[in-house]
Amino acid sequence: MGASVMLEALEGIRATLWPRAFKRFTGAMLLLPAVALVLVLVAGLAWMGDASLHLLDTETFETGADYTAANYRQMGGQATYWIVLGRSILGAAIVTLVTLVLAFPYAYVMVRTGSAWTRKILLVSLFLPFFIGQVVRAYGWLIILGKEGLLNSLFGILGLGPFKMIYNYPSVLFGLVQYLLPFAVLLIAPAVTAIDEEIELASESLGAHWLRTFRHVTLPMAKPGLVAAALVVFTLALTDYAMPVILGGGTNDFIANAVYDAFFRISDSGLGSAVAIVLVLIATLLAAVILTVLGSGTLGFSAERR
Amino acid sequence: MSTVRSKAVVLWTVVVLNLILLAAPTVIILGASVTTGNIIAFPPEGFSLKWYGKVFASVVLREAFVRSLWVSIVCTVIAVPAGTLAALALARYRVRFAKLLQLYLLLPFTVPLIGAGMGMLMLFGELGILGELWPVGLACCVINLPFMIWAVLASANALDTDLENAAANCGAAPLQAFVTVTLPAVAPGIITGALLMFVLAFNEFLVSLLLTDANTVTLPVSIYNSIRNVITPDLAAVSVVYILVATLAIALLDRWVGLEIFLKSK
Repeated sequence: MGASVMLEALEGIRATLWPRAFKRFTGAMLLLPAVALVLVLVAGLAWMGDASLHLLDTETFETGADYTAANYRQMGGQATYWIVLGRSILGAAIVTLVTLVLAFPYAYVMVRTGSAWTRKILLVSLFLPFFIGQVVRAYGWLIILGKEGLLNSLFGILGLGPFKMIYNYPSVLFGLVQYLLPFAVLLIAPAVTAIDEEIELASESLGAHWLRTFRHVTLPMAKPGLVAAALVVFTLALTDYAMPVILGGGTNDFIANAVYDAFFRISDSGLGSAVAIVLVLIATLLAAVILTVLGSGTLGFSAERR
Repeated sequence: MSTVRSKAVVLWTVVVLNLILLAAPTVIILGASVTTGNIIAFPPEGFSLKWYGKVFASVVLREAFVRSLWVSIVCTVIAVPAGTLAALALARYRVRFAKLLQLYLLLPFTVPLIGAGMGMLMLFGELGILGELWPVGLACCVINLPFMIWAVLASANALDTDLENAAANCGAAPLQAFVTVTLPAVAPGIITGALLMFVLAFNEFLVSLLLTDANTVTLPVSIYNSIRNVITPDLAAVSVVYILVATLAIALLDRWVGLEIFLKSK
């Protein structure tokens, strides 16, 4: 009873504040809080964009009043930034390829298995690292791969090593693959679910080897999931900060590390803003191109109105 | 038959490789946290819970843990209503510029975290709210908001519009229809989204690193700051907190909505 009385009272308040005449604005009204939240991000970006167009006097730490592209010119003129950019793009491409190759069979088995238990175990194994976070996972790899880590003490017993397995490029890429695997599998799985298993069976019953079926039937039909996964994995790898800093130890910086250093080591917020804005533009452009050319795949907010 | 077997062998080889890759850090951290020795080595030196004792005794770590908890609560409390209402609006109402709004709401996913984080750092600095903890929660909410919207939208799309219409036709007032029909129907999505938001905020490293200072440092940043060249087991014991939180979140998710929801095709 109490609840229904309360609901009635609330209904009264609603009717006063939001009469039925406003009904056609209800949708916009409901979106308002979320739009306002994202506005915090947009406002921050605008602020940073503005900062990137002013020169910071590194002696007095005062921002110049004039608009100038000097920060962008300085960035373009420094070979370091080009090297970091190239390293990040190449790394992200390799990570994307390896992650997709590993993730697709996982998603496929997880969806197709007849055993509910197998499915559960595969799902839990996926969510556990996803929910544990990057720093802790990177720390786990330091324990395993570090100079005085587990593998090296194991090699020591065998009279081998010690080998240098961290603070290099492969270790950063390795950490990124492990970090991004759950994202890839979770984006591919719904696309595999959408494939009618009978189509595969039909292909195989017509004599196609399973690899051919995979290549010509399963993979093309799972394209929406693969596109979404590739986009997310590539962007997250390209813009990652934690793995290059923890597993790379400063030897193999990515763009995000360069942004951080410009802000906090060189203390040049103008230059840092410029590098960050370029990164934002690259990522946004990439997403826009891929989504326009290949469709939003399993990524978008698909609202199916009936 | 042999082709069927070769398919199973190839697929399962990759799956097992994945499982090892996914589980290795977790398993090793659990093992390392209970070693007797001062450094982590193979073979392990013996079983001891002394590192957990050290962690519990550390005021710095306890405070960082409580701060992370607070950040996650702030994030979830903002995200649940905002994300739920937005998802319902996208699924249920005719909104002008709906396509454009959807792209706008996906911005937190397409804008790299370092850009979003530095931008918010500058903005919060200008607003004079840096050094407080709640803006960190707000920032975590902003960058992960699409997860919340996406989770509720998945439930809302599965909901039969006729149910809501029936409620309205039977004389239910809008709020009553919302509370008694719509909300229970999208509850699985809300639970999923809320758990995701909480856990992701609890884990968030980069944005926390940018927005916190020595007095407001959160647990992931505190762990990061303690990573040194010499690897000691006390950090492994702290990291176990994350394994426990993740396990709890997965158990709740599986019990309340079922993990299989993530396999559904859209």
